[in-house]
This record gives sequence, C-alpha cells and structure tokens, in this order.
Amino acid sequence: MTKLVGNKNKIYSLENKAKRFKRDINQWSIITLIIGFIIAIPIATIFFKLFSGPGETWNHIVYTLLPKYVLNTGYLVVGCSILVLLMGVSTAWIVSRYDFPFRKQLEWLLILPLAIPSYITAYSYAGVFDYGGTLELLLRYFSISAIKIDIMNMYGLILILSLSLYPYVYVSARTVFLTQANNLIEASRLLGVGEFKTFFRLLLPLARPAIIGGLILVLMEVLNDYGAAKYYGISTFTTGIFRAWFALEEPETAVYLSAILVTIIFGLILLEKWQRQKIGYHNDIKSANRLLRKQIQSNKKWFLLSLASIPVILGFIIPVMQLLYWVGLTYEEVFSFEFLSIAGQSLGVAILAALLTTIFALGLIYFTKWNKLHFIKNLSKISTLGYAIPGAVIAVGVMIPTLFIDKWLYKVFRSVFEINIGLFINGTIIGLTYAYMVRFLAVAYNPIESSTLKIGDKISESSKILGKGNFITFFKVDLPLIKKGVLSGLLLVFVDVMKELPLTLILKPYTISTLAVKAYEYASDELIAEAALPSLLIICTGILPVIFLNKLITK
Amino acid sequence: MKYLVWISVFFLALSCKTDKKNEATEKAPEVVETKEVNVYTHRHYPSDQELFAQFEKETGIKVNVVNAKADELMQKMTSEGEQSPADVLITVDAGRLVRAKNKGLLQGVTSAVLEKNIPAHLRDSDNAWFSLTKRARVIAYAKDRIKPEMLSTYEDLTSDKWNKKILIRSSSNIYNQSLLASIIAHDGGDKAKSWAEGMVANMARSPKGNDRDQVKAVVAGEGDIAVVNTYYIGKLLNSKNPEEVKAGEGVGIFFPNQETRGTHINVSGAGVAKYAPNKENAIKFIEFLSSKNAQEVFAKANYEYPVNPTVAPSELLASWGTFKEDVLPLAKLGENNKKAVLTFDEAGWQ
Repeated sequence: MTKLVGNKNKIYSLENKAKRFKRDINQWSIITLIIGFIIAIPIATIFFKLFSGPGETWNHIVYTLLPKYVLNTGYLVVGCSILVLLMGVSTAWIVSRYDFPFRKQLEWLLILPLAIPSYITAYSYAGVFDYGGTLELLLRYFSISAIKIDIMNMYGLILILSLSLYPYVYVSARTVFLTQANNLIEASRLLGVGEFKTFFRLLLPLARPAIIGGLILVLMEVLNDYGAAKYYGISTFTTGIFRAWFALEEPETAVYLSAILVTIIFGLILLEKWQRQKIGYHNDIKSANRLLRKQIQSNKKWFLLSLASIPVILGFIIPVMQLLYWVGLTYEEVFSFEFLSIAGQSLGVAILAALLTTIFALGLIYFTKWNKLHFIKNLSKISTLGYAIPGAVIAVGVMIPTLFIDKWLYKVFRSVFEINIGLFINGTIIGLTYAYMVRFLAVAYNPIESSTLKIGDKISESSKILGKGNFITFFKVDLPLIKKGVLSGLLLVFVDVMKELPLTLILKPYTISTLAVKAYEYASDELIAEAALPSLLIICTGILPVIFLNKLITK
Repeated sequence: MKYLVWISVFFLALSCKTDKKNEATEKAPEVVETKEVNVYTHRHYPSDQELFAQFEKETGIKVNVVNAKADELMQKMTSEGEQSPADVLITVDAGRLVRAKNKGLLQGVTSAVLEKNIPAHLRDSDNAWFSLTKRARVIAYAKDRIKPEMLSTYEDLTSDKWNKKILIRSSSNIYNQSLLASIIAHDGGDKAKSWAEGMVANMARSPKGNDRDQVKAVVAGEGDIAVVNTYYIGKLLNSKNPEEVKAGEGVGIFFPNQETRGTHINVSGAGVAKYAPNKENAIKFIEFLSSKNAQEVFAKANYEYPVNPTVAPSELLASWGTFKEDVLPLAKLGENNKKAVLTFDEAGWQ
C-alpha cells in the first residue's frame, strides 16, 4: 500500500515537473536567458581562460611582485574606507540633520566630486603641489617661502581617491537619514537620549546597510583605478594586470591576476549581502515624515558650514581651479573644430550606450518578473557582475567572442553573398556599445531594481487582473512609478561612459574618439596642461546629471 | 515561418563549413585599386596629423587612423588575425616593433626608397619595420650644482658619488625597459641586474611621475641628475607654462658613453602589417614619412632627431651638439625586453 502511494506521488511529482517545465519555458524566460547569455559571454570567456593556466612568468610575479600588490592594495582599501566613511557619513548627517546657511547648495555640491574622473583629480593635484606648481606660485606671490608637500605617494593616492569617491557613501547615507530617521529620532529624544548617543546607537546602525553598499561601490572603483595609481608610482593589482598583459605580453597571467582581484571583489559583495541579511529590519522602518532639521546657534552654524564644505573644496573646487588655470594656458592650441566634433561623438556614444544599457536592464528585471522563476532571477544577477571587472579585462572578454562571430559572419557573407564585409562587430560602434553594456549593466540595474522593489508587485498585478497585458501594464502602470529609478540608471551609465577609458581605448572604431581618450592622449604625451580642456568638458557633462540626480533623491 | 528562419540559418552554417575545404583552391587574388590606408599608431602628435593630411593631398589616398597604446594595438591585431584592417603599425619604441615582427604581425617589404632614406642599423634586417625618428636617453644635470665633467657613462651612475642623487621614472616605462635591454645586450644579464640594483640604491626618491617631473625635481633640488629623453626637454623648453620653461632651462644635457659604445637611442618606427589589405598604399605611406619633406616636419615640430641623414635636426637639438649613438641593432632591444622587465622586478625598481 505504502509502495503504491509512493509511486503515485512519484508519478504525480514527475507530471508536475513536466507541467512546470512547460509553464516555465515561454517567450519571457527564453528572452531573459538570451539577454543573460549575451551579457555573460565576456565574463564567461575570462572565466574559462583561467583553465588554460597562467603564463610562464606567473611564478616570478608571485615571488617578486604579488606581496607588494597585496600590501599596497590592502593599504588603499583600508585607507580609502576610513576616509570615505568619515567624509561621506559626517557630511550626510550634517546636511540632513541641521539647518545652516547655504545648506541647500551644499547638498548637491557635495555630490559634484563624482563628476571628476579620479585620474584627473590626481593629475591636477600633482599640478598644485608640483615644483613650480600653483601652490608654490601662490606662496611666492605672498612672499612666503615655499614648503614642498609631496602628494605623489600612498597617502596622497588614498586622499585623492577618497576625495573623488566619497559621494557614493554620502548619497546612500543621506537617503536613509532623510527618509527613515525621523520617527526614531523623535522617539529617542522623547526617551531623553542625547544627540550623540542617538546618532551612534540608532541612526548609524539603521543606515549601515546603505552605507556599506555605497562603500562597496567605492572600493570597486578603488580596485579598478589605473591612471592615478600609475602616475603616483604605486603598484597595485590593476597596474600589475596591465604590466603582465602588455609589458610581459602574457594575457594569461593578466587574467590570473584579475581573477584574484575579482575574487576579492566578490568577497566584498558577499560580505555586503551577509551583513544586509543579518540586519533585516532596515526596510521596515519608513518614516511617514521627512527628517525635521534641528535649529542651532549661529556660531555653530558657521562651523558646520565650513566643516561640510571641506570635501567640496578639496574634491571639486581646487581640482577644477587648477584645470581652469591650465585651460587658460593652453586653450588656443587645443580648441578646434575637430575638438568640438570629438565632444559631440563622446556625447553620442554615451547617450546610445546609456539608452541600450537601461533597456537591457529593464528587460532583465521585468522579463524575470513576468516569469517568476528563481533560478533565472539569480542568473540575471550574474550578468550584472561586469561592473566588478576592470575595463581592460572586459575588453579582452568582449574581443575574443566577437571576433569569433565576426570571422564566422565574414565567411558566411563571402561564400553566400560574395561580399567582403570586414569586421562587423569588433572595432565598430556595435562592439564598443556592447562592451559598455557588459561593464555598466549593474549601474542601470541597481537603481531600477530598488525602485521596483519599493513599489512591489501589487499594483501591476491588479492591472493584469483587470485584463491588461504585460506590456500595457508595464508602460502605463510600472514605468511611471519607477521613472526615478530608470532615469537615475540612465544618467549614471551616461556619466560612467563619458569617463570610461581603458575599454574605449582598446575597442573604439577608427572614426570615433571621445573626450576621455583625447585627455589621455595628451596626458600620456606628458602634456598634462593640454589635457585640461577635454577633462573640464567631461566634468561639465557630469555635473548636470549629478544635480538632477540630487533632485530625484530629495523630492 | 519561425522554423524556416532556423532552417535557413542552419544551412548557412553548413554551407560555410563545406566551403572551408575549397577555400584554398577558390581563393583568387583580388586586384582592386583601393584609395585608403589604415594606420594603427601609438603616436598622436599634431605634426603627424599634419603629415597624414599632406599625404592625403598628394596621393589622394585616405588615411584612417586608430590611436592607442602600441601594446593594445598589437593585441588588437593579434586577435583580428587575417581579418585585420590594419595596413601600417606605428609605435614609439623599437622594442615593440621587434615584438610585433616576432609575433608575425608585420611583413617584410622591398623598397629602394626606404633603403636609401633610412640607415641600416635603424631598419629591421628583413625590412619588416623602419625607424622614422630618433630620441636619445640622456642625463639631465642641475647646471648650478653639477659639472658635466663629473658625468661619464650610464654605468657610472651606480657609483657612490650619486648616492640619493638620481631621479628616474618607473620601470613600467618602455624607455627604461629599452635602456636596460641594451645593457643586457652589451654586458649580459648579471651585469644588467647589478646595474639596476645600483640605480635603485642611488635613487633620490621612489620612481614616480613622467620624464618632465624628473627634470622639475632636479631643478628643485630633490636630486642632482635625471635620466630622461631629449624629446621631453624640448617639450619643457617650449611649454606654455613659464615654470616648466624655467625647469627646462635649469638643466644641462649630457650624452653618456661617448668614449665607449655611444648614447642609447630609441626610435619611433613603422611596419607594414602582415595581412595589410592595402599593401601598396602602406609602402607608399611609409616612404612618404621617410622623405626629406616629411622628415623635416618631424624634426621641426617634435624635438626628435630625423633618421634621414640628409635632414638636419632642429636648431634646439643642434645646440646640444652632435653625439655618438649606440649602433646596437635595435632588434636586440625587443629580444631582451621581457628579460629587462623581469630584471627590474628582481632589483625592486618600481
């Protein structure tokens, strides 16, 4: 008897599985899989390259260089974490909790350093503290004898990277303080707890997941940095990857080094996931009211103002002033019609890449939603890993499979249509945009995903119950609700593409150049002053989206 | 309908598989007169662009340019293989040209014009590449503190009198790699290693910044001498920034190893790509760059020495005097490059 039941159950479950399988294989899951596959190819390529073994100098690197890479990268990670947390969290708290003159302006000014690529901040600071640099000239003007401050070392690099990256932490901390802190503060004050204790015991733990999320983004950027570390003479993993790949001509060794780097980054991501899980309440507390600002005495007001402006002055105003000075020296030579057209191309490429990346991210999120399959959802997450991988490594990952397809297409077209098409994807705008998508998908995916999580499924489900299809529901119901997330995704990808360098250098087509490439060309020819104009334009295109993003957060 | 598409795709795939076998017999050389040349170049100077435009005007052949670091361009050509659109590869270092040749990215060409315009030691033995301009790696010394008589050779830099006095950039820089490669070629690996170690011991600071930064540091007194390229001194002296001009004026130029093998030189050069779709145009293009007119443009605009012996260097370069150059076949620099990089690592030269 029991046997029979067991069998029946088995048959039942098999039938069930078959049914489920049939239900699961539909157009949405297939499209999701295809998108996921396309995006994952380059990452998978790099992964499989690992099995072909490292190059012959691997041992040499392990014994002579690896300890240094690990040590330097470790210093950078620890140093930047401390500075970034100090600057990001304190400023976020000051502008959300207290009222003081120019607070509103400061709110968005504090995000602006993000608009400057960190290698450009590094160059301009080198210019400030250089022999015969701006600082020395200023001091000489006031006839003070010059003191030489050497910025081109590990401490300098930590400072520079922190100054250009702290806004990631600032933005995420401020969002939590603004939207979730009010009730808690009121309760804690009612119970007679002081300001300091409230902050450290209540608000900091509350904002911790968001802060750590921002910190992880900072650390990814730190680990990816190439330009600043190289110029300051600090050997890190990323400079090591370039050395192994280009100076030693061993892409295999470079892939091994990047595998270590990627493992570190995944470790950080897992750490973040784990700490988020441990604190599961962060989403439940939502203040209905925005945080009320505290009124304070006027002398304290000025103190807070000057304290919170330090990161803006150091991270934005000083580098931009230095760049402006250089532009004044060199604009006549640099500015031309050709330069304008490069600026136009830069914008065009960035807009195209931002649009496509956002559409792909929307597709990944919504197709998996309509499909409700867990394993596909996880799969779609994998395809957002590109952001953790250095641009140059992505470029290799894109180059290998696209060339394979190109060669195949070439043969097909030649034998069937008797046309020579040349390379169709590689070294064209298609390949370049594709690589940007792989690299920056996460940048669009995360804000969109978090805004869909916020609205939940209930509203769109009601729409479907009322007989509207997936697409109509998406365009009429979901899209207006997640507009903020979509726009922030779009803008963030845009800014990132404008700044992107290594990947663009390797994959860009003949006819196209970007501002970042132009700035790099000047800088690599030791014409750092000439690089100022294109750098300044990159910053300008970054400022508007940043201000806009700030509006989105505070609204 | 859907299935029809899939079936046709399948047959397409099949058809190209079967074609593979016939390819060898079917392939007939296409004779199409093309009017373009695709140039992969590491150089991105206004003078080069000016020359490319002039070439277009004279010949009607359009010059398409891909600008990137030579190493990345070589990786690109390697992956593109037979389909590579590159006709000409231009790099700023002989070592890389040799590596490109060894990787099978370049082809030997015969051109009487090039053989006439470019001296033998500045060409590849199989004519796979040709130098276009020269730079010397010299010692820049603080005029106010150091007398040129104190200087003699690269080897002498490791002696105790220069303890904590030398400024030189990082070993990831190709000019340093080529300099060490030349020492390996002349004196062997062991001597080269102890030279690199001696240099590290005598450095005034850990290597950072570029060649210009080293000169500025000498003038500011952080060290007494710097090993730099002549080209960057020219750039400093003609900078828009008055402080940089001052730095350039504060140093004297010394050509080392005049009594022995000669000063180490490095070159920019060009080669015809192995799978160049426009080979004839590529040769024309390089011939044009080696011509008297083009070499004069190089010499004037960029503070580099011309390779064409009939062309005189610019006034500034001439003012530093003539010098004996190391005539080591430049191919040796490429052969020893990797060894040089490894030696730097072992010596702890950052």
